[in-house]
Amino acid sequence: MSILRSLWLIVAVGFMLLPVYVMVVVASAPDDTDLSGLVFNGFHLTDNLRVLLGEGNLALYLRNSLILCLGTGLLDVIFSAAAGYAMAQLSFPGRRALFALVVGTLALTPMVLVIPVFLIVKELGWVNTFQGMIVPGMISAFGVFLVRQFALGIPRELLLAARVDGAGEFRIFARIAVPLLKPALITLFLVHFLAQWDNLLWPLIVANDQELWPLPVGLANFQSEVGVTYHLTTTAALVTAVPPFILMVALQRYYVAGLTFGGLKR
Amino acid sequence: MKVLVRDETVPSRRAAPRHVRPQAAAGVALTLPVAVFFVVFWLVPFVAAIYLSFTDYEMAGTPNWIGLANYERMFADPGFLNSAWITVVYTVCTVVPTIVLALLVAVPLAKPGRLNRWLRALVMIPAVMPLAATSMVWVIIYSDRGLANTLLGLAGIEPQAWLTSSDLAIWALVVMVVWKSLGLFVIILTAGLQALPGEVYEAAAIDGSGAVTTFTRITLPLLRRTLLFVLVISVAGSMQAFVPAFLLTGGGPADATQVLPYYIWANAFPYEHMGYAAAMGMVLLAAMVIISALQFAFLKGGDE
Repeated sequence: MSILRSLWLIVAVGFMLLPVYVMVVVASAPDDTDLSGLVFNGFHLTDNLRVLLGEGNLALYLRNSLILCLGTGLLDVIFSAAAGYAMAQLSFPGRRALFALVVGTLALTPMVLVIPVFLIVKELGWVNTFQGMIVPGMISAFGVFLVRQFALGIPRELLLAARVDGAGEFRIFARIAVPLLKPALITLFLVHFLAQWDNLLWPLIVANDQELWPLPVGLANFQSEVGVTYHLTTTAALVTAVPPFILMVALQRYYVAGLTFGGLKR
Repeated sequence: MKVLVRDETVPSRRAAPRHVRPQAAAGVALTLPVAVFFVVFWLVPFVAAIYLSFTDYEMAGTPNWIGLANYERMFADPGFLNSAWITVVYTVCTVVPTIVLALLVAVPLAKPGRLNRWLRALVMIPAVMPLAATSMVWVIIYSDRGLANTLLGLAGIEPQAWLTSSDLAIWALVVMVVWKSLGLFVIILTAGLQALPGEVYEAAAIDGSGAVTTFTRITLPLLRRTLLFVLVISVAGSMQAFVPAFLLTGGGPADATQVLPYYIWANAFPYEHMGYAAAMGMVLLAAMVIISALQFAFLKGGDE
């Protein structure tokens, strides 16, 4: 029974990994002669990378993706930390209304919002700019909600003691709350980074200028760039898959925590 | 790390009145950027989308109020009806197999053991693959000489034009999306299963409960919350899926894979029929809200 179970799991997980293996094989191929991706035909990954970085725009797309993901990720962590903490631990006018607003947006689909958000960004003169790509995605309802839930667990006595000692509210937030919220903030950064890394729809709409394209948009246009060469396109796909993989390995438990908490990302 | 969903009860601040005023000022200051952001980039656009859906706005020119004309037009538009139907097929055929397969993998995978620990780590690899990269890899798998046709060849079946045949393309998309979501759902379900109380299983084993009975009578009911969560996010995810159709088939061949989000995008941006696209977005949103509510109503019952 337990051997059968192990066998089933090995076969199932093997099938789940097969396309990843195919990606590595085809990305390392010298040309398009064998696309089945079952057997390595030499290992030309570095040559392919050199072509993509030299003739293709891969370095540019990589840079743009990093700007987009680090930018929105850090902004989300900062603003969500502040708002989530305040909504959990401080009483101020409008707290309930703000909570309703944030939670309410979780039900909306981007397909409804992209049109008016595009018109707003156009009105601001931000089409084809980094701020146009970054600002509309810089705070997630998921982030505010995650930090708030986590901040509800901060012992009230701790904050009260600090207040009695004469610490100001901003000092309490920065010195007491932020260190305690660290696990939630790492989870938030990771979830946000991964979501933005894979964001195709918004950059596609707001950035016509190739100089601004992040990897997903670049990948979509790759075949017109390096010709129809499957192995080079696959090398680019592999490059796109590596940073999320590294982050996941480094921050595995935060990743699982983020997935099981909500998956409510925008 | 534990993230607990707690009650919304924030303790009364009356006990410390002299702290209330600085707290209120700090609270407003700390939440102001978020409040402004959600008003400007969520609330205003949502209201604007409702308004646009009653207009003939086309990017150039000004919006004119045309009442329900966009909504009437939709139900006579073969493109919309086709997209709505394809979205239904796509959603049902991605959600059901993914959840069944994920359960079949997660239930044995959640058990302790060194092999399982390794396999659980490996499952994360497909789960974190960006959809954009995944789509490019599946373009290769579905190409003339790709893996799909190679495997068919081993079985003696002639090669198929997976992405350019109007009969096969939608199923090619479905298979890719099932694969992509499987890793994610296995992780979520495994985490849910590992959180179940072990004593219940010990008791069941002592009572001589078989594997199938244990699964249907104990595991499934206890796992209902996690299952509901996976179901809701997978249905919502499938209903608003844009990327697979955009990257694998461009909605084609003809309009065989033109899911509703793709049709909305195509109407709004390449064709600039923003009013009409906004109206279709509203219909999609209404469908998503109704279906989520139904899922909660059916699966949440008897939880107390």
